[in-house]
Amino acid sequence: MMEWAKKTLEKVELSRKERLHQPAPIPTETEAESILNNFHPDYSGKERTVAVGPNAGNQKFPLELADLLEADSFLPTSHTTVPDIETDVLILGGGGAGASAALALEGSGFNIHLATKLRLGDSNTVMAEGGIQAALAANDSPRRHFADAMVGGHGENETGLLRILCESGPKSINWLSQLGCLFDRNSDGTFRLRGGGGTSVSRILACRDYTGLEIMRVLKDAVRLSSTNILEEHIAVELFDDGNSTITGAVLYDRKSARLVNVSARAVILATGGSGQLRLQSFPTSNHVGATGDGLVMAYRQGCRLKFVDSYQYHPSGACYPEALAGQLVTEAVRSAGAQVVNSEGLHFINELAYRDVLAGAIIKEIREGRGVTTPNGKQGVWLDTPMIDLKNGEGTLANQFPGLIHRFESYKIDPVKTPILIYPTLHYQNGGIFIDSQCKTELQGLWASGEVTGGVHGKNRLMGNSLLDILVFGRRAAESVKEEIPERGPLTLTNLKEFKKNLPESLTKSPLFFPAASKINLDIGKLEIGTAKSDSSSLDNSATFEPPDPFAH
Amino acid sequence: MKNIEIKIAGKSISAQAGETIVQALWKAGMAESVQTGCAGGVCGACTVTVRFIDGKSGGTELACMKIVEEGMEVFPCPVEPDKAVKPVSNPDALTLQSVFPTVNRCTKCGSCTTACPMSIPVMDSVMRMQQGNFSEVAEDFTTCIHCGLCRFVCEDKVKPHNMGLWIRRSLGKSQSELHIDNEDPDQIEKEWQHLIVGDKQERMQRAKKYRETGSILS
Repeated sequence: MMEWAKKTLEKVELSRKERLHQPAPIPTETEAESILNNFHPDYSGKERTVAVGPNAGNQKFPLELADLLEADSFLPTSHTTVPDIETDVLILGGGGAGASAALALEGSGFNIHLATKLRLGDSNTVMAEGGIQAALAANDSPRRHFADAMVGGHGENETGLLRILCESGPKSINWLSQLGCLFDRNSDGTFRLRGGGGTSVSRILACRDYTGLEIMRVLKDAVRLSSTNILEEHIAVELFDDGNSTITGAVLYDRKSARLVNVSARAVILATGGSGQLRLQSFPTSNHVGATGDGLVMAYRQGCRLKFVDSYQYHPSGACYPEALAGQLVTEAVRSAGAQVVNSEGLHFINELAYRDVLAGAIIKEIREGRGVTTPNGKQGVWLDTPMIDLKNGEGTLANQFPGLIHRFESYKIDPVKTPILIYPTLHYQNGGIFIDSQCKTELQGLWASGEVTGGVHGKNRLMGNSLLDILVFGRRAAESVKEEIPERGPLTLTNLKEFKKNLPESLTKSPLFFPAASKINLDIGKLEIGTAKSDSSSLDNSATFEPPDPFAH
Repeated sequence: MKNIEIKIAGKSISAQAGETIVQALWKAGMAESVQTGCAGGVCGACTVTVRFIDGKSGGTELACMKIVEEGMEVFPCPVEPDKAVKPVSNPDALTLQSVFPTVNRCTKCGSCTTACPMSIPVMDSVMRMQQGNFSEVAEDFTTCIHCGLCRFVCEDKVKPHNMGLWIRRSLGKSQSELHIDNEDPDQIEKEWQHLIVGDKQERMQRAKKYRETGSILS
């Protein structure tokens, strides 16, 4: 296996013994700055300002996002505004933040609808592997958690939001446990806590390398048991306002019946997640299919300012080989457990727990300077020396703690216990997003936002384990705020949208993107009017005429 | 790169060696023929059945993980979620039987184990469910992605993954509440003010120092 990499793999094996007890240095502040400025994609200058909306001319956006912010709406101007559904709270997004919000609203007496583009739980949350931070160790505190995240975020974090995040850590773990989440424990019954890049004490809880899966399947089950009305495969297309800027609902596109659905709501919670599928600068992504920044685009048109959206997280360890796994996450916890990052010469060129942005930049630097490994497909990466884990922690550690990693590489006959994995940074997390206050209120009445779609809490670089905490804490917080401040029902108008369109440069493209460009999914939303189903059903239906085979006939 | 012919719901498309089914469908402009969620093997949306023209044995797969092979025929096989069942504290075999009455209908055919894309020993685990060995079941279902294929293929309407989740959640609910220490609120607030007040540079300096000691005393 990996015959093409034989020479460089030999070098990695040769240096392993020497590297075992010799940690590589974490770059000094000056070195880190130089790595970021010269090699991190955020600093490559591939960004521009936009001509319209609340951040017109005053903030730079990645080119791919700027194009979407300046694109036209799919909605025909003649779109009628008669509600098809009337509800109290409309949650947009079926990941961890949306599910947490729905659960926190249970018992409030409100009618709740949760709409999701895919199915409930198909999200970045379910893909999170490494863990969730909470200050539970004896030598830890929410203040220390705060200090770690602040330094990791380059001091740009919103202090109010970050304090809430860190103070809510232990409570959130308790909440999840009572819902039925099982986190890994030590033999004495206490939670097993791991370190991560930028944590000064061990603070990360995990369920093997399936932490997001464990959290999401429990949240999903709990939401299915709640009174929430779940609208799966309902894509949010645009928001409604009352003519005075208060948000009063949303237009959804029901994929199954190919119709537009107008929802009137007293409160809308935007939990639509991130935008890794924009694949900035042609980077691969670890994100799910729906992560196309739809929430950013919709909120921006309504007048919500965006913060730090020039800052993205490129996760240092995305798989680079085999080709089919390109971009998929290899959790940082693998590095916490001792796997080192090594170049083609077998040199341990940087400490594997340097901050994510610095480590990603350092990997790109090695490759640009000729010390990377080229795959048969022409991709380049560096080694993540996974066999080191068992050498450091005893045989069986990797298989026991990272079954997901083993499982994913198994079908390619690569055993990470014996062979290092080739990695390259992958577009992983949208650090910035919509401005919110400490109650998750956006700058518009009637609109709340939680999770990856928001910006501020993580500053300009997020630490591992803080996004799973973010979605729980702020998903629930938005719900609490909605309970207290829900406005009366308002009329459905497209006043904000029409105002935005007035200043829009002539544009042939439309947004939100809804699905990755690479998927070639093209929804003819613009041609639809309410209640009119698409006549030529080009997709799924013809499959029904085929009798599926009995897979166990042999 | 070698070209490979595969069929999706009867329609031929050309794929490249080393691609997953989902990657091939995207390139062919047929992304919507198989429901997809994470495209990373953990959401369970893209369940399909696969067979081969030459009679080689096929089976159930996740389209986002399965690599295309010559002569492969792929059929979408979406699995609707089953009704959720409320977990209980301190679960036992009798309670499980009362909320999942089909648990004892298992005829040990092994289809569920064969169908599982996560290599979970599903049938063995159903035996453990019948016996009430719930901590082992919880371990078995740690990696369950809830694709539902085990339930889908079961002719006796046993619902392994629903029971697996019910057992895991029920055991989880039985965990004792986390003890959260009550610290002196005045001291805590003092530390917060120390960390929050000031301009960015000052905050960074203080945060860096605090990381080292975990306290504002030096």
